[in-house]
Amino acid sequence: MRDDLGLPGRLFIVEGIDGSGKSTQLNLLHKWLISQGYLVVFSEWNSSPIVKETTRRGKKRRLLSPMSFSLIHAADFASRVHSVILPALQAGTVVLADRYVYTAFARDAVRGVSRDWLNRLYSFAVKPSLSFYFDTPLAESMRRIMDGRPKLKYYEAGMDMELSSDPEESFRIYQGLIKHEYERLVDEFQLVRMDATETLIRQQQRMRDLVRPHLSGVMRFDGGEIHQALRDAHLLGRYLNVGPGRLPPP
Amino acid sequence: MTELSFYGFRPPGIEGESLPGRLIVIEATDGAGRSTHVALLKEWLEDEGYAVLDTGLRRSDLAGPGIQRAKGGHTLDPITLNLFYAADFWDRLERQILPALRAGMVVLADRYVFSLIARAAVRGVSLEWMEELYAFALVPDLVIYLDIDVEQLLPRVLSSTGFDYWESGQDFLRGSNVYESFVQYQQMLLAEFRRLAKRHGFTVIDARRTVSQIHQTLRSVVDGVVRGMEEWPTESAGTEQLNGAARSDGTVHAGDDAVDVTRSGSAAPSE
Repeated sequence: MRDDLGLPGRLFIVEGIDGSGKSTQLNLLHKWLISQGYLVVFSEWNSSPIVKETTRRGKKRRLLSPMSFSLIHAADFASRVHSVILPALQAGTVVLADRYVYTAFARDAVRGVSRDWLNRLYSFAVKPSLSFYFDTPLAESMRRIMDGRPKLKYYEAGMDMELSSDPEESFRIYQGLIKHEYERLVDEFQLVRMDATETLIRQQQRMRDLVRPHLSGVMRFDGGEIHQALRDAHLLGRYLNVGPGRLPPP
Repeated sequence: MTELSFYGFRPPGIEGESLPGRLIVIEATDGAGRSTHVALLKEWLEDEGYAVLDTGLRRSDLAGPGIQRAKGGHTLDPITLNLFYAADFWDRLERQILPALRAGMVVLADRYVFSLIARAAVRGVSLEWMEELYAFALVPDLVIYLDIDVEQLLPRVLSSTGFDYWESGQDFLRGSNVYESFVQYQQMLLAEFRRLAKRHGFTVIDARRTVSQIHQTLRSVVDGVVRGMEEWPTESAGTEQLNGAARSDGTVHAGDDAVDVTRSGSAAPSE
């Protein structure tokens, strides 16, 4: 990963298995940053408008073998790096990413793709200022997911790996493998380990404390009558489509 | 026999040591006569009794439609585009080429990873990154490069499709003069192909000659690679025995050079 670019922006990312609470925490951080006047750009895994359709097609028709799964996700990621993440960092904003290269490293490695090759493949990625790993016991994250009685999707449950013919059992084994792979990544790439069993508010406080020192010199959206009005009224302007940044979807 | 050897690492889900078929790749820039010669070779091989699969770029079920869409509208950065191509290439390797080789067919690949690497390299993508990307590619039995100059390309291109947007490098070259773009782009591309040919030990064939002359040369080179296929062992015979048998007749395998040079000269990661 590249950290030689000297970009004025800051990149914060969250990682963790499904049900670890990472998106909840990133969402709270997003809102806080906006309330502090920072310009925030948000990027989500698997969301490139150019590649999304192919991923969807591959998943729906179950065309994705481990290598095509890996390459298609790399294409999606590359597209977002070049069209969203990099330009925003060049402009000097805060960029938040829900899942980053480590998701690909973990998911592809458990499918048998060479770790060494993955590292080289993703060498174009920008190294985050801070990466948070939400560490949660497997049983706890499973409970959070299964409480909603979801219909597990084929790849989401790791059914392509033929771990079990029962989707729920497959999902549990798959998440366990991913979690094991994350453990290795936390050490190798110095991810900040967050205890996801702590209260939500404690976790958020810790995140903010860690993020704060990285924010000096980052672009803020300051001014505009609307913002003055909002400040005077102690409101965030949640329903106004004006800067400093759009709020994340609810 | 195609040895199951990869430039960098063996992709997950691929088992075995060798396959009964042969993988023969023809690389060249557009207009060098690539498709003509693939068609002629296919017909000749089929006459000889070989089952042949011919395959080209951008034809996979998975990524084919996506690439067409992406090239049509959005501005695509070169890394994303090349990852798209790589997904497409892998899909064809896994779902068309490998099964055909497993079934004992001769696979004629109209372009392989080298075209993708050359095109990306002239557009400024790191050659090293591109070669590392394709570390999952199967090493072919034979890579033929049809060598030609821009001067010979011009009349051929003008009499067929004309100057294509991508083949004139108009997506990245400045200026609006199509003729000049074409000449400049093709010169860059040919230089890149020649570098790759040297680095990976392609069998270079002079494509400035007549179609008939080129075809005859291709036949003799391809013959050296497909000969011995019928000796592929039945269930009872061992692979070791076949290796001995296929090479004891003194046939020079044109592919051996390509494969060996590739292995020693490739920058792809070894794991």
